[in-house]
Amino acid sequence: MFLYYLRLSALSYRRNPILSSLMVMAVAIGVGAYMVIFTLNFVMGGDPIPQKSDQLFHVQLDSGNPNTQDDPPKQLTYLDATALIQANSAYRETATSKISGILEPEGDGIRPFSIVGRGAFADFFPMFNTPFLYGDGWDQSADRDLQQVAVLTKELNERLFGGADSTGETVRLHGNNFQIVGVLDDWAPVPKFYDINNGAFDGSEEIFIPWNLIIPLDFPRNGNTNCWKTPEAGPDGFLNSECVWIQYWVELRSGDDEAEYLQFLNNYAAQQKEFGRFPREMNNALFNVEEWLMKEEVLPNETKILSALAAMLLAVCLLNTIGLLLSKFLGKSGEIGVRQALGAHKGSLFLQHVIEAGFIGLLGGILGLAIAAAGLEGVKVLLGDNLMITDWIHLNPTVVAITLVLAVLATIFAGFYPIWRACSINPAIHLKTQ
Amino acid sequence: MLEMKNVRKVFRTDMVETCALDEFSLTVDQGEFVTITGPSGCGKTTFLNIAGLLETHTSGQYLLDGVDVSQLRDYARAKLRNQKIGFIFQSFNLMPDLNLFDNIDVPLRYRGMKSAERKERVDKALDSVGLFARKKHVPAQLSGGQQQRVAIARALVGEPLFLLADEPTGNLDSNTAKGVMALLEEINDSGTTIIMVTHDQSLAEQSKRNIHILDGRISNNTEQTQQKAAAAA
Amino acid sequence: MEIGPILRALSRNKLGVILISLQIAFTMTVMVNAVFIINERSKLMARPSGLDEPNTFYLSSTGFGDQFNSQVTERDDLELLRNTPGVIDATPTNAIPISGSGSSDGLRIENDPTLPATPAAVYFTDEHSVNTMNLTLIAGENFSASDMTYQSSNERRYYRKAIVTLALAEKLFPEEGLAAVGKSFYRDQAPVQIVGIVERLQAPWPNSFFVEQAMLVPLNFTDATSTYLIRTEPGQRDRLMVEIEETLAGNNPDRIIRGLKSLQETREESYRLDSSMATILLVVIVTLVFITSMGIVGLAVFGINRRRKQIGTRRALGATQLQILRYFMLENFFVSGVGVSIGAVLTIAFSIALSSLFEMPTMDWYYTPIGMLLLIAIGQIAVLGPSARAAQIQPAIATRSI
Ligand SMILES: Nc1ncnc2c1ncn2[C@@H]1O[C@H](COP(=O)(O)OP(=O)(O)OP(=O)(O)O)[C@@H](O)[C@H]1O
Ligand SMILES: [Mg+2]
Repeated sequence: MFLYYLRLSALSYRRNPILSSLMVMAVAIGVGAYMVIFTLNFVMGGDPIPQKSDQLFHVQLDSGNPNTQDDPPKQLTYLDATALIQANSAYRETATSKISGILEPEGDGIRPFSIVGRGAFADFFPMFNTPFLYGDGWDQSADRDLQQVAVLTKELNERLFGGADSTGETVRLHGNNFQIVGVLDDWAPVPKFYDINNGAFDGSEEIFIPWNLIIPLDFPRNGNTNCWKTPEAGPDGFLNSECVWIQYWVELRSGDDEAEYLQFLNNYAAQQKEFGRFPREMNNALFNVEEWLMKEEVLPNETKILSALAAMLLAVCLLNTIGLLLSKFLGKSGEIGVRQALGAHKGSLFLQHVIEAGFIGLLGGILGLAIAAAGLEGVKVLLGDNLMITDWIHLNPTVVAITLVLAVLATIFAGFYPIWRACSINPAIHLKTQ
Repeated sequence: MLEMKNVRKVFRTDMVETCALDEFSLTVDQGEFVTITGPSGCGKTTFLNIAGLLETHTSGQYLLDGVDVSQLRDYARAKLRNQKIGFIFQSFNLMPDLNLFDNIDVPLRYRGMKSAERKERVDKALDSVGLFARKKHVPAQLSGGQQQRVAIARALVGEPLFLLADEPTGNLDSNTAKGVMALLEEINDSGTTIIMVTHDQSLAEQSKRNIHILDGRISNNTEQTQQKAAAAA
Repeated sequence: MEIGPILRALSRNKLGVILISLQIAFTMTVMVNAVFIINERSKLMARPSGLDEPNTFYLSSTGFGDQFNSQVTERDDLELLRNTPGVIDATPTNAIPISGSGSSDGLRIENDPTLPATPAAVYFTDEHSVNTMNLTLIAGENFSASDMTYQSSNERRYYRKAIVTLALAEKLFPEEGLAAVGKSFYRDQAPVQIVGIVERLQAPWPNSFFVEQAMLVPLNFTDATSTYLIRTEPGQRDRLMVEIEETLAGNNPDRIIRGLKSLQETREESYRLDSSMATILLVVIVTLVFITSMGIVGLAVFGINRRRKQIGTRRALGATQLQILRYFMLENFFVSGVGVSIGAVLTIAFSIALSSLFEMPTMDWYYTPIGMLLLIAIGQIAVLGPSARAAQIQPAIATRSI
């Protein structure tokens, strides 16, 4: 029976090819455009580390300016970051900052080039579940002993070593030799939750080194730095200043731990108040990944506005489909009357037309996928690689499934009224006035 | 008043040429009641369409009220239809979305008449077919016979020179048909010329003049005044 | 005219009217708001930075190794740049206008850190900046070579002189205008004297609220990285970009040259999100108008086909072709009228929502009526074809049985 109805649908499509194509196109455009925006929102607003986003916490210590009333700073000062690391009171924790440096490849093949790197602690890798292609992260002794070790990204390893296992080799960065202990596999969480201060949709840094080396080796800082008070003169002025430039993350394993850690932060802040720092009222904060992304509104306003517009576009397309389906089904009232006279009951007529609407929806969905794919490519071209890494912009299986289901359901939904109207026509009336 | 000389009508489609009217010559005078009969497909509707300026003829001459209509453009033909001709159709052809008043109002609107005069005329026409009380109803709320009476009112409201009716009783039962016929005769008695196509032999016999068409030509043209008078007696 | 009957006939087909008019209403809402957003974005993009953008580019030099002497390198580089034929002038700077990254400072007119500060972008540069950036000095004077100080970027920064933009001067000294020259403000609890005022120079952050508040300061960092802003004679930029990069990269093995970019590219990149948004919105508008007019055409064709006999009857009753055409145009006009009326309400509601949720300016009043007229016009154009076809329907159809 289902196949019979499907064949009827195809026949009906061919009887009214222009009207039917118009409907398919309307569904396709509406659903396609909606899916483009949906994909952007889905990925940009998604959870970048779903396995443990409720165990990873972003640390904020309120070392801010007493003359303003804004939120606590998003990053920590050098004094505070080193103190928290010393205290070592979380299950895992890392201070991390963005740096840059000149990388001097061995031999004369490649000229020195400038790259962006990240200082981190050993816990960074297990905390954030970074995948390794070769080797592994360094261990905590490397942090303590200021060992010059490094982890490369896949791309940098490709560029320097042609993709071969480079663990054990050395690279020369910022005038110092680093021993490679690991090479990451593809890793670019979207959004880049661990450092949204410097582009929430940027790609990952290319090289990771122990954070403790940043100061002794005098690495240039490459991220956002905010000072509400100018540093004192002298070489240690900056380190002892209230300038914030360090992100701090901890991994905690239970809700109790969270409360306990916040208590620890408050105790630390209270202690600092005694030294004359932390002039504001106590306002330290711990946010897990999802809370943090939500609070910082990493999703650009543009995508929110576009979501609203895309929803209206979908509405227009569905209204269009309702109108056209109504025309089409009412135009078929002759056939419906005859079928009723031949003994078809309302239920089966209803089913026949639901399947016909679903058929149009499915065609629209398939075409809509093509439109969505093309639209996403277009968005990629528009955004360009300079603005943000756009590799994540593509149709994933979830979106494909949602598109098809949305198209079919939306069309059937749009068809309910027309179907009901067409099927409730009294055949007698129809026979009376041609 | 209506004068056709050797009118010919050929329908050309991709495959065939059909000659629907051939050497068709006919004169109808003011006040006549002419019935047209003939087998299906003989050209009755075609004649009516040409007479009513719904279609152009292929060759021959057609004078309507002394005017040669062969060369008239679409615009002038529409104006002539609007002012001189009233149509009554087998399936009534009322506008389903308009109420009775608006339906009867249609031809007057095309004439660009002032609203006060239109209202007066429409009310009068509705009254004359006995449906004044239902002027706010839509056609679907009426019986077939009532719908045809509305259509007659619409044909009459513009006070045309003559009425053209294509099987006006074809969709009605015999009782209702009699009522409609009585109404048409009444109209004819008050001076309006009527040309009516019918399949009903008895209706044809009642009329003053009957024209029988066979294969697009007039085969029989009889004045029946006597018979009718005799039948009445 | 047959306005009354058209309206009465339409009122018997409310659902059809609602469907199209809602479609028109949504289309109008999206279209008008999108056009407004596009216009706002292009207004933002059209603000001048103050620089001679088409003829300006920049690059950075980063030294490495123990041999590298940044101060000597920078001095030599600048001398070479300024003496290159085709170069008008060159200046070292810590930040590039429009680029999105730079430094800012909080300024006060009294030495009291508890008072609110006026934010301003700071360009650490030298006495060639006014000429290189093509700024118009409208009061006071430029720095001289002897004003220059040199220090590391990590140190506490000292400077005593500044050239400020007019917008910044007016913000600091609201009543004074150009007379602000010679006055001092405080930053980091030390006084800085305004030696000159330039007409315009944007901060590096195009979206910041203090984009017009910027100042030039005669201070240069001794770090390994120097960035040079270079202005060329018209038409020389592209050639010089290639040549200068080559020369600088070749004349010192202890440094690399990177970040070569014209100011035009920088502008494009900084406004990429805005221009992408504008393009996407344009596509949305075109799509919507297309869908809606196809919908109007489809429904009109269908409605006309359904009413073929009725149209033939009207023709038989004496309607001219023009009257039939006008009937359908009018019918569409009324439906569009309902649509744009709902649309006007939706449009305004949506724009109020946008401006309150996203801190966008409120829409100018004339957008809505223009949008209404436009959509009515689109509807009329869409329905013109089907109506013309309806007018071609033969009157003889009235006497056909089906
Ligand atoms: N538009 C047309 N195209 C082609 N042929 C046509 C057309 N209209 C009528 N004819 C042909 O012209 C001939 C006369 O048709 P017409 O409609 O006048 O017949 P009729 O006498 O009214 O028949 P009936 O009593 O069945 O209504 C028929 O053979 C018909 O097929
Ligand atoms: Mg006929």
